[in-house]
Formats: sequence, structure tokens, C-alpha cells
Amino acid sequence: MTTTDLARRVRTRIRDRGTLRDRVRVLEAEVQENRQLNRRIAELTDVVAELLVPLEARDHARVDEVLDRFRTGL
Amino acid sequence: MAVAVSDEGLLVPPGRQPLVVEIGGHYVWSLTPLRDGRPAAGGVLVPWPGVLRPHLSGRGRIRVTDATGAAVLYDDEVALGTGEGVLAVVDGSGHRLSVDKVGHLARSFAATDEAVRDEILAGTRRAVDDLREHAGVAAYLNYGALLGAVREGRMLAHDSDTDLCYLSEHGSPADVVTESYRITRAMRARGWRVLRMSGGDVKLLLPLSDGRVCHIDVFAAFHVGETFFQLGNRSGDLPRSAIEPFSTIALHGHEFPAPRDPEAMLAFLYGPHWRTPDPSFKYADPASGVRRLDGWLRGFRTDMGRWTELYNGPRRAAIPRGPSPFAQWVEPQLSDLPVLDVGAGTGRDALWFARSGRRTGAVDFSRGSLNVIRRRARRLRREVAVDQLILGELRSTLVHGTRLARDPHHLYARHLVDCLDPAALEQLWLLARMALRPGGGRLFLEFSTSPTTSPEVIRAAIEAAGGIVERLTTGRGEDMFDLPVPDVCRIRAAWPAPDSEELR
Repeated sequence: MTTTDLARRVRTRIRDRGTLRDRVRVLEAEVQENRQLNRRIAELTDVVAELLVPLEARDHARVDEVLDRFRTGL
Repeated sequence: MAVAVSDEGLLVPPGRQPLVVEIGGHYVWSLTPLRDGRPAAGGVLVPWPGVLRPHLSGRGRIRVTDATGAAVLYDDEVALGTGEGVLAVVDGSGHRLSVDKVGHLARSFAATDEAVRDEILAGTRRAVDDLREHAGVAAYLNYGALLGAVREGRMLAHDSDTDLCYLSEHGSPADVVTESYRITRAMRARGWRVLRMSGGDVKLLLPLSDGRVCHIDVFAAFHVGETFFQLGNRSGDLPRSAIEPFSTIALHGHEFPAPRDPEAMLAFLYGPHWRTPDPSFKYADPASGVRRLDGWLRGFRTDMGRWTELYNGPRRAAIPRGPSPFAQWVEPQLSDLPVLDVGAGTGRDALWFARSGRRTGAVDFSRGSLNVIRRRARRLRREVAVDQLILGELRSTLVHGTRLARDPHHLYARHLVDCLDPAALEQLWLLARMALRPGGGRLFLEFSTSPTTSPEVIRAAIEAAGGIVERLTTGRGEDMFDLPVPDVCRIRAAWPAPDSEELR
């Protein structure tokens, strides 16, 4: 291996390390985005579990009552 | 080396041992020089905490001692700020306050009389019972109250509240959050006032006979894999067997469930030296655990405290009371439908819309804002339906969207778009879509433009959510204080009803 080749390899390695750091930063941000789905899933589960059954019954008075109770319980 | 006291802070000898600061013979703050200060000529300068600064004007006696009070480093009369009046850290009713371990100003047990302390402990016991019998979770005493009970057989002098935790059976954060929602409903049904702080912790508000409201924190604790998480922000190694089955601990004559191995819990919370009093203690939570808890459970109330501080504080007076120029621009465009001011702030525009009997609603995520609007509506004898809307919380958006779909309104939002984070902004479009499609109301927006809130970006977001921009103007305008700002955009948008969309 010539000195020029060696210098090129060292340069490439240094550059790749920089790229890896950037990549880790991006991955960390993406992981955090995925973690945020936990609250979203919980909120949807709560809405479905608490509201869907009475809404499906299409009883307007009951729907009003259930919506109101859900809203004040948030 | 001597201690010096100034408006800037305390100049103290460099050291790792905590120091205790009293003003007028009352504990106000504790610090650790090398942790909290910066090198300065003659020692380490520890700045006064921001929460204390508004109280630091007047003359009074300041005393600085070691944690036990045996070694007195400073004890003298000083004049701070204007030097007029008495130097005292008190609330509006004259109750003594001190800085707690998370940096808030609170009333400590040292400044609480015995009868009130008894009310707090009886209330905490009632919370434990209600959590078990009505919310289905077994809570244990934790944090300062547990430390005080185990180490000193009494409440810690510098503590200011009681904390309860429950060990969730769930190993998925989503299930822990769902469980916390269920607990909130059950406790509200029992008559508790509840404030949600994150997806895994709530505060129960306990009114006391001295006019104060004590906060009882109810924190979720859970394992994900092998790692133990406990709100506030704790994470690390603590097996289930250190917590369950519970032991019992007595505090000033009240019995509480406690972790099975209280010493193991206290070492987990406060480190191996938990037996040595350190009133300046601060948590050193693993960053990876905080990152996880932030991602899983938080994000919907990041700026809430700042806004509430504005609405409860003196700066509110700088917000004009009359209608904004934008409200006057909008009003002639309103059909007979009611109007809902979203992010209503002090309610200046909602109250103006309501002046001639138009049905008007005002929603905001800050309880400080809602209280201001209710007060002003009462005073002006105007009907404004005031409610909380947290755009960062999907449940809140969905329930308001459902209500508005059944009771059509126009939506009005002045300087809201420029305050929302991307997730909350997405939910504003969801709310508009749900609320406006069935009834034909319009969305009226005014916002300061920026690269993330340029007219093009906002127009594209509205269109992506199924809306149509009917009118868009840009130019000079005013901020929330009615001070001139160079680039303001006004938009009127509609959401075509589902049927007409399908026919196209």
C-alpha cells in the first residue's frame, strides 16, 4: 500500500465516523418519535374503550351523556 | 473564609457539603457550592434561584449554616433590591415559602402547623384508600415522606408535599398510560380535583383549612424489561420483590403502605448516603431513562407552565382588553353560527364576540387563561362557554371535535399557529376537519410568519387536511400585546362536507 493509499483510507475512515455520528443522531430522533406512539396508542385505546360502545348504540341522549362524562374525566 | 451576600447571590467557600439559607429565621433554600455555583473572586458565587428573586427586596436577617445548623457561616442584617420593607419569602396570604428539591417555591412542613400537617397526612391516607378501592391500584408512600418516616420518624422539615406511587402490572408504556387515564376518572368520580402532569403521573389537589391547596402526587412505577421506572424521572435496578408485598410505616400517628424493603427504595431514590441529611439534594437521573420517559409519557404540556405564569402574573396587564384588529376583521365575515376562540388567552376577543349575544366559546390549554376568561365574563355579564382544550393530547382534540361536529361553530385562532409545536399543529387541522365539515363553519387564523409557519406551509397543511383556503392576506400586523410585527398572515379556510367531496 502506498502512502497515498494509506492517507486516502484514513481520510475515508474519518469521514465515515462523522457520517456514523450523524446517523446515530438521526436514529435517536427516530427512536424518540416511535416512543411517542405509546401515548398516542393509549389515547386511542381510551377513546375506543370508553366511547365506541355507546356511540355505536346511536342513542343520542346517551351519546351526549357519555361524551360529557368523558370530557370532564380527561 | 467568609460568606458574602448580594443581589446576585451568595459568595461561599468552595465545597461539596450542602449549606442551608434562612431569611428572617425561616428556611428558604439549600445549596451545594460546587454543584450550584461558579468560580468567582473570593470563592464560589451561587446565584439566587429565579423563583426566589421576586421576593428578594427589603431588609432582613440572612443566616447561612451547614446542613445540621451547628456551623454558622453567615448571620447578619442585609439590604437587598431597593432595601425598603421587610425581606420575607411569603405567598399572598403571608405563608412562609421555601425552594423545594425540584426548584419550585412551596410551603414546607417546617412552616406548617401540626393540625394542617395532620390534614395532609389524613388526606394522603384517604387517597391511598380511594386508589385501592376505586381505582384498583395499590399505592405506597414514597419519596420525602418515606425518607422522613424511615430516617427521622417524622415529616422532613424541608419537604412540602406527599408522594404516592403504585407499581403497575403493565410492562408496556402505552398500557401504563391507559391505566393512568382510568385512575384519573375513578379519582374524579370520588370527588378529587386531579391535574395530569404526564401520561404516568397526576396530582390530587387537597384543600387545607389554612386556605392552601396541598398537592399529592400519584406516580406510576413499572418495569420495562429488567429496568425499573418510577415517575418523576427515576430509572435503574429495583426488583419487584423490593416493593411487594408492602410493609407498613407510621408517620405522625398515620399508617401507610410502604415498599417491602424501604431501605432499598431509599437507596434507589437518594443513593447510598440517604441516611445523611442533605437538604440541597438533587436527583442524578440516568439520561437514557429520562429520554425514555419523555418519549413515552410527556410532550403535551411542555409550555403550559410558562403560559399559566403569564396569565397569573403581572405581565398579563400588558395584553390589551379590547378587541384585536383581527377580531374586527373577522366579525363581518361570520355567519350566524357560534364562534369558538381556540387558544383564547385572556379572552379579549371571545368576550368581544359575545357582547351582542352571539354564542361564543373559549378554549385554551392553560388553566390560568380559563380562570381569567371566566372572571372577566362574570364581571362583564357575558356568556362565554369556557373549556380546556389540549391540542397536544389527542383525546382532548377528539372529544372537542366530536362535540363541534354535532354543534357547528366557526373556529377563530389568533397567534395560535405560531405557538404550537408540529404535533399540536397537526391536531389543530384535525380539529378543524372534524368541526367544520358537517356544519359549514370557517376557520379564521392570524399568525406571525416564520420558515415553519410561512403562508405556503400553512396553506399546504390546511389543504392536506382536506380544507380550502378561501382568503389569504399578508402584511404588517400586531402581536398578542398589539405591538407591531412586520409579517403577519390572515387566512379564512373552509372544509367541504364529506358528501360534496365524494361527488367531485
